[in-house]
Amino acid sequence: MTGPCVRARDRGLAGCPVCGGIVRLQHHEHGRCPRCGSGVHYRKHNSLSRTWALLISAFIMYIPANTEPIMRTVSLGQESSNTILSGVIYFLQHNEWPLALVIFLASVLLPLLKMLAIAYILIMVQRGSTRQRAERTRLYIIAELMGRWSMVDVFVVALLAALVQLGALTSIEPGPAGISFAAMVILTMFAAMAFDPRLIWDPKE
Amino acid sequence: MIEAAEHPDILFICHECDALQKVPAMEPGSVATCRCCGSTLFRCPRGGTEVPLALFVSSLILFLIANSYPIMALEIAGIERETTLLGSALAFIHEGYPALAVIVALSSVLIPGFSILGLVYVLLSIHHQLDWPFTKPLLRWVSRMLPWGMMDVFLLGILVSLVKLSALADVVLGPGFYAFAVLIVLYAAAVSSLEPHFLWEQLDRPSTRHAEETA
Repeated sequence: MTGPCVRARDRGLAGCPVCGGIVRLQHHEHGRCPRCGSGVHYRKHNSLSRTWALLISAFIMYIPANTEPIMRTVSLGQESSNTILSGVIYFLQHNEWPLALVIFLASVLLPLLKMLAIAYILIMVQRGSTRQRAERTRLYIIAELMGRWSMVDVFVVALLAALVQLGALTSIEPGPAGISFAAMVILTMFAAMAFDPRLIWDPKE
Repeated sequence: MIEAAEHPDILFICHECDALQKVPAMEPGSVATCRCCGSTLFRCPRGGTEVPLALFVSSLILFLIANSYPIMALEIAGIERETTLLGSALAFIHEGYPALAVIVALSSVLIPGFSILGLVYVLLSIHHQLDWPFTKPLLRWVSRMLPWGMMDVFLLGILVSLVKLSALADVVLGPGFYAFAVLIVLYAAAVSSLEPHFLWEQLDRPSTRHAEETA
């Protein structure tokens, strides 16, 4: 499906990212959509370096998100800390494998796959690769859509900390991993938004 | 009432690959795909503004119910504790994580609430040709915020905590939970019934009432 396609930029045109309108930019790099007033660019400004910066920050956050405790359980004076992985192992040992699978996928595997996918797309763009452009575009769309599901563990901790407050009997407190985890999810979402998929299709300069 | 069906060939630029192409007139309910990269350009909505308006108004009602009643309650040894959606976000404040409280409150309550309210306003204005002010900046802001609303992820979070807690104590689901579960389905249907491209086209079109006044 990679027939001769007319690139909008070559005609001095750009699509508005919000309303889908066509904006005539001509020699300007940036402009404003006359219909909805959003900023319109031929290509997102400094897309590659901004995406790399956000991606690397997200990866740094991924480490404490998985090594620090996500919550602390205090039960009859005894305190125990849980990381995300120790939670997964706990549920595997108690035969709750669907739950273990959901937590493992959403919190451990998905963010890692998303970061790897974006890094792969960035490297291929920088090398000027022309192979499998449509597949890489689809990979980008999938990576962009699935990132938000990693937030699930933050919500679980919020609910548990709100409900399990039974004084000396038992209580659950959020751990320091929560903030790194949320930061990691938000940074990967910003990284996906900073990337301009049109770069996949641009000829090498 | 505005029909979405009658549109001629339109020129469209693919967001993903920048291919400029002419899209022929389409059947309502069909999807236009890019000739170059194969990604979705836009969907041709089925019922004009009537279907999205109905779905967003119902979502708004359910949103208010889901946020006013407790979603679940926990009972251990006679002590009962319950929480609402916003209450679970506020738990982070008591534990010394205000940043997390803000993130949870924004993604599960404030952004979805603002999006639903904003879209009801914009759709009402278009559907009844009311020419209300600020529809354009409002729709622009809602489009930007939509990916940050995470009510569906929160529902998964409720289900996971349900399983975790059921080992610990008796868990009772509150009316807020059922409203929230139905809300997720309705909200997903509402968002997918909406095609921003057509909304903008209709916002741009001078309304018939306005035309009559000037005539």
